[in-house]
Amino acid sequence: MSPASPTPSPATPVVVRRPRLTSGLLLLILLVVLAFLFDVALGPVRIPVLTVARHLLGHGAAADTATAFIVHQIRLPKALTALAVGSGLAVSGLQMQTLFRNPLAGPSALGLTAGAGLGVALIMLTSGSAASALAVRQLGLAGSWALVLAATAGAAAVMALVLALAARVRDNVVLLIVGLMVASVTGAIVSLWQYFSAPEQIQEYLLWTFGALGGVTGPHLAVLATVVALGLGLALTSAKPLNALLLGENYARSLGLRVRRSRTLIILSTSLLAGSITAFCGPIGFVGIAVPHLTRALLGTADHRILLPGACLLGAALVLACDCLAQLPGSQITLPINVVTSLLGAPVVLWVVLRRPIRTAA
Amino acid sequence: MPHSLPSSGRVGGTTFTFWRQPSGWLLSLLLASHLGGWSQARVAPPRPPAPATRPSQAATPAPAGRTTVQYAKGFRLAYVGNYKVISIQNPFEPQAKVMRYLLVPRGAARPAGYPDAQVIETPLRSLVALSSMHVALADFLGSADLVVGVGSFKYVSAPRVRQRIAAGQVYEVGQGKELNNELLVAHHPDLVMTTGSPGEGIDHFQTLRAAGVPVLINSEWVETTPLARAEWVKVLAALLNKEAVVNQKFDAVAREYQRLAALGHQATKKPSVVVGLPFKDVWYVPDTDSYMAQFLRDAGATYHWDRVKAPSGSLALSFEAVAPVALGADYWLQTGSLSTKAALLAQDARYAAFAPVQRGRVFNNNLRTNAQGSNDYWESGAMHPDLILADLLHILHPELLPTWTLRYYRPLR
Amino acid sequence: MSLAPPSPAAPILTAENLTVGYAVRKNAPRLVAGPLQLTLWPGELVCLIGPNGAGKSTLLRTLAGVQAQLGGQLAVGGRPLASLPPEARARQLSVVLTERIEASHLTVQELVNLGRHPHTGWLGGLSAHDHAQVQAALVATGTAQFAHRPVGELSDGERQKVLLARALAQDTPLILLDEPTAHLDLPNRVALLRLLHELARTLGKAILLSTHELDLALQAADRVWLLPATGELLAGPPEDLVLSGAFAAAFQREGLAFDVATGTFELHAPTGPAVQLLGEGPAAFWTRRALLRAGFVPTASPAAWRVTVPPDVGRGSWQSQVPGRAMQQHTTIADLLQVFSNDYRKLA
Repeated sequence: MSPASPTPSPATPVVVRRPRLTSGLLLLILLVVLAFLFDVALGPVRIPVLTVARHLLGHGAAADTATAFIVHQIRLPKALTALAVGSGLAVSGLQMQTLFRNPLAGPSALGLTAGAGLGVALIMLTSGSAASALAVRQLGLAGSWALVLAATAGAAAVMALVLALAARVRDNVVLLIVGLMVASVTGAIVSLWQYFSAPEQIQEYLLWTFGALGGVTGPHLAVLATVVALGLGLALTSAKPLNALLLGENYARSLGLRVRRSRTLIILSTSLLAGSITAFCGPIGFVGIAVPHLTRALLGTADHRILLPGACLLGAALVLACDCLAQLPGSQITLPINVVTSLLGAPVVLWVVLRRPIRTAA
Repeated sequence: MPHSLPSSGRVGGTTFTFWRQPSGWLLSLLLASHLGGWSQARVAPPRPPAPATRPSQAATPAPAGRTTVQYAKGFRLAYVGNYKVISIQNPFEPQAKVMRYLLVPRGAARPAGYPDAQVIETPLRSLVALSSMHVALADFLGSADLVVGVGSFKYVSAPRVRQRIAAGQVYEVGQGKELNNELLVAHHPDLVMTTGSPGEGIDHFQTLRAAGVPVLINSEWVETTPLARAEWVKVLAALLNKEAVVNQKFDAVAREYQRLAALGHQATKKPSVVVGLPFKDVWYVPDTDSYMAQFLRDAGATYHWDRVKAPSGSLALSFEAVAPVALGADYWLQTGSLSTKAALLAQDARYAAFAPVQRGRVFNNNLRTNAQGSNDYWESGAMHPDLILADLLHILHPELLPTWTLRYYRPLR
Repeated sequence: MSLAPPSPAAPILTAENLTVGYAVRKNAPRLVAGPLQLTLWPGELVCLIGPNGAGKSTLLRTLAGVQAQLGGQLAVGGRPLASLPPEARARQLSVVLTERIEASHLTVQELVNLGRHPHTGWLGGLSAHDHAQVQAALVATGTAQFAHRPVGELSDGERQKVLLARALAQDTPLILLDEPTAHLDLPNRVALLRLLHELARTLGKAILLSTHELDLALQAADRVWLLPATGELLAGPPEDLVLSGAFAAAFQREGLAFDVATGTFELHAPTGPAVQLLGEGPAAFWTRRALLRAGFVPTASPAAWRVTVPPDVGRGSWQSQVPGRAMQQHTTIADLLQVFSNDYRKLA
């Protein structure tokens, strides 16, 4: 410690920005609650809002099994899934953007979503002889768990590769390139399989790539929620390391940060979040890239202790809103969620790229 | 046996009771609803009961060696001099909506006129069938030995053809982009028969045509009723000069179908049915113009989307839109490739709430699936709508056909 | 500025037989400098200077812990650097590096707050004491008035001060700076070095910086570490190194001659005769420079050519005496040089 500590001068108002941040977060919480209620209230089947509310609170008419089924078995799980997906993807996107110091990085930067896609393609496209595919299906394994396990295995394989490399390389750019190459290679392999597949298989795989928030119910939802919660918890402990990494790895080291350990933590958190979400819901794009920028613009801070919860809330609100839009209220048709998030996310990315100020040398 | 139509005479020996209505009005109504496929899903005008199983053309008994088209709307058959003209509607061709084929006896000169038509020499001695249904057509006419090539060995169920495949007498030519043009040119079959689809218009077969191999593009899938679909066998019959055979066999099928359909229409209780297997959020169900909807009508079922028109193909509905119907339905038909109740519930546990699952009334049309995974429902099933209708009647109204054993459908246990 | 005597406390940093370099291949390290014996005391500003390629940056980065040492012992705060856990090391030394910062949207306040990283809890929240330290750092570097502006909007000089404030906020006894004057203009360089000297004095920190600014370094540094290309480091007050000739020797390899009298490097090679310079004061100083640039060798000892400098600046005139012509008066140096060059041409 220094022998002569300077006397503190009269404090400049450092607390001025606090109220703005807390009010910003409160606003986001409100937004999430509203979006959640909207998402549960809207759907292809027109149900009066009051009826929905009654069923949610458990006072629904017992005889109205159809409405109860819709609210409890279809809309509620879907809204909860949207909550998990939005918060998980936004937080992992923020982590990737800070770790790689790249404003266009997202949860797929490490190649995890590509790995998950490879696992799913393995099951859907390479049935080999129809007999073995038939046998697999007869065992009931071709139920949704098989797809989830395959996607998880694919994402986990990529994660293991990235972690092994992260322990060896000092430079983050190498990891980013590894992620890109993994995505390219898996894309090529999947294309190859598609080339030799029957049209029904290709269509099935294509449907998977559209992403879907529905269909995650019961035990699936429990697993997804648990893993996402775990990933978010890990992400929270990475707030301080992420802040230190804002200045670059050399400065971060000089601040006492164990860079390799932090990198492992961040990669683990992102893998849990992006991997589980892709496994259950398919690849959902743009949320991870766009939401961190929106959060920064909204809350006006670079402090990850605020940004992480902020991105979590804003991501959840956004995906819930996208799900509402995807229902095309009034019509019987539902758009795939990926289409809606891309249509919303691409303009945001453009805005980010076009408005960035010119860099000056440090 | 020539078939008769309601406004004049009766078929010898059998009696029908059809409503007598002007067929012209009916025809224009049917055509209008079919051509309106561009608009959004909308409700079609209410159908008079069971009109589509009735043949649509004015009847004259076909002379020997000829056949007439009574149900199908996708093709026309004309007999001119010593040759025949087949006109097939093909919505995917950019230039001409109707493609013509001249069926000319081997050795005869090409007739004058019809500049764009392809010439096919009849009778065929060899046939390459790119779709499994075409194999069924050949099999139905007793000409399974004519099939010398198929698109994929996997999608063949007819026993005779499977025998020939095992004996190495049939070659595989691939489908779509993988069509093995060289193999086809080398073997030079008398005809390659395929089904039209976007991207596989006549231009796709340029190489074959240039090499002198005729290609005939069917579009049996545009038909909206099962009988109309099955009637496409008459195209092959004309190519083989087997009109007499087809008249006899097809009429038998049509008669049996209409007999069963009458039973279905007379049923007092019409159980509700939900069709298809959802994938995550989307549940594809047949729309009013699909042959499946017609099957359900003829089987005396209540189908919730009986009047709803899809913009194209099937109706893509969200799970939520179909679930209320499925919750209270009496029967659930066609569950993808699943065959057991356990597999069904493994797909999505929420199905357990559906009434058909709880009462054990779930049936899938994959009973006749061979070791290679090919479902005969799409092959011989297309040629035997009467058997399928019988299956459906037995499922939906067990008291009507108590001794029937299911041919194409199986219950999910 | 007070004349604080050197603190009798223990040295902050000691190095024994330290060798630095980098490993091109495993087991084939490239030695850049060493073995070195170094000591850093609290309260003094040390400048690390030397010709290009001598290894200043490598040495500094090794001392900062950014690069691994090749051999020897390096201790900070009494404990070996290699054995210090990262958090403890961060409490002993802080750095200011040359690399550009990409977090241009951070405000000055947020950036300096990061300096408290080693002192805060797992979530990184700042206590009142932390805030006070940050505030003091901002005030000490004169950056408090733009505490809420984004770093990207600052000028180079201001940004450098902000980075220094961050290092100050880290509250370490030792601060290392790698070429902090590199992108600054002259006034900013002067200001920064002055600031550093003052901070070392008043806060009792040991500050080590590497620089190419020889002129400012010789003025500002309490001690200089001179690292010549041979790799043998010499340490001491700048004046000792200059007067002992070590300074000149270190840069002589580059083909530069250092003039001990003026403390400047000789820019020009002599081509003409010796010229005796009579007179003192600023006029004499600048006349000497002009003669050197023209290629002459100004000297105090008697010579054939002679120049007498006016006693007051701005009053009086120069007198030149060249054998073979009469004494002449010149009102400006330009005139003097003109005549001399004519005289010189006549010689040749």
